[in-house]
Amino acid sequence: MPNYRDSEPVSLEPQTETLHGRLLNVSRMATIGEMAAGVAHELNQPLTAIANYAHACERLLGRTDMDPADIREAVHQIAIQTKRAADIIRRLRTLARNQPTERSPFNLNVLVQELYELLHTDALLHGTRLILDLAPHLPSVMVDPGQIQQVVFNFVRNGLEALGAAGRADPIIGIRTSPHGDGEVELAVTDNGPGLAPDAMKRLFDPFFSTKTNRTGLGLAISSTIARAHDGSVGYRPAEPNGACFYLRLPVSFGG
Amino acid sequence: MQQQQIPETIYIVDDDEGVRNSLRFLLKSVGLATRTLASATEFLSTYQADQPGCLVLDVRMPTMSGLELQQQLNLVGATIPIIFITGHGDVPMAVEAMQHGAFDFLQKPFRDQDLIDRIQKALDRDRLNRSALAHHAAIRARLESLTPRERQVLALMARGKANKVMAADLGVSQRTVEIHRSRIMEKTSAGSLAQLVRMVMDADPALLSND
Repeated sequence: MPNYRDSEPVSLEPQTETLHGRLLNVSRMATIGEMAAGVAHELNQPLTAIANYAHACERLLGRTDMDPADIREAVHQIAIQTKRAADIIRRLRTLARNQPTERSPFNLNVLVQELYELLHTDALLHGTRLILDLAPHLPSVMVDPGQIQQVVFNFVRNGLEALGAAGRADPIIGIRTSPHGDGEVELAVTDNGPGLAPDAMKRLFDPFFSTKTNRTGLGLAISSTIARAHDGSVGYRPAEPNGACFYLRLPVSFGG
Repeated sequence: MQQQQIPETIYIVDDDEGVRNSLRFLLKSVGLATRTLASATEFLSTYQADQPGCLVLDVRMPTMSGLELQQQLNLVGATIPIIFITGHGDVPMAVEAMQHGAFDFLQKPFRDQDLIDRIQKALDRDRLNRSALAHHAAIRARLESLTPRERQVLALMARGKANKVMAADLGVSQRTVEIHRSRIMEKTSAGSLAQLVRMVMDADPALLSND
């Protein structure tokens, strides 16, 4: 009985079945930190139960008046709780396993627009304005839409958290799409927060690197993995005049 | 000690059936009587304030958390000692619980001996709480048996007034004051003026400001 649902940041009426499924996937992955904490908590329950039964058996076996039926009952319960722990781990593995990606030609603008409502609600909850600046006639990219939306979501989440910590008067997040150089499109998420310290920039996309104490630091590392899997890249540059800018670059799909 | 007649009960409140039952089994193996409940609300509808024992309480539960249950119990003035059991990441919650008067807390999974030791200490505390409460209730009953006049005299005695002064204050004879005094000592079964004052301070301090 996992309780991940508690930590889902936003719920909204889905426009279509597929969008709903994709958004669920996005928000599920976006809260991976909470998920890890949830799994740890869940595993702790059967482990606690197993330890209690085992300790009780030790005590009972040391007594002359013990009833073997009690020991049998405890051992039986230990087996049940062990299976429960194994089930949790199996579920976690299923979650962690890379789902086979299905790629089709997509316009990044469309993926951003689909995600807009979710991001907008999230931004509102953080007292932040969300501004879209989408280039017209953007070439298509071959992508797994859910994964790319997850990258966008992670970037925006990152920005919202940075702005929240900075306590700015008029926090703004911008999402901009544009053609980039020869054969690439870029999606950039910009905030008007304090930006990043130089030493943080180097390790930014490392797994488990986080400037926030209660985050796992997996969001940007996952984004980086997704970008590489699409033959693209993610990066950081300071925003003008201040703030942070995270970008995703993807090769243009010539087939589509 | 008539309260010893009701056996002590360890209440276990945890929404996780596996943990709940394992705790019951463990505590039974050391001869402790338990009562397991799956939620805070179940506990609230079951618990009787005159039931001696202690409460082993999970912090994280749906609908009403352990901390919320603690607050409810504090509101109604329940004195049952609470041992919180928390998950690994719940230290801030544990701190909050302690600030609100929790007896102790343990992180899951814990050593059985740690839990048993804490339960024994919590039961000691509960006995102490209950005997203090019973003691106060007995004193209050004795103080309530005083007449309004005797209460007046008691307030004056506590302020260290001499019989002569009291007699003048109250407009009665010194002899009458002496009779009141001895009736007060008799009714409260106080051994000395100092003991009498302490009893009043413990059980009904408002009486001392009575004019």
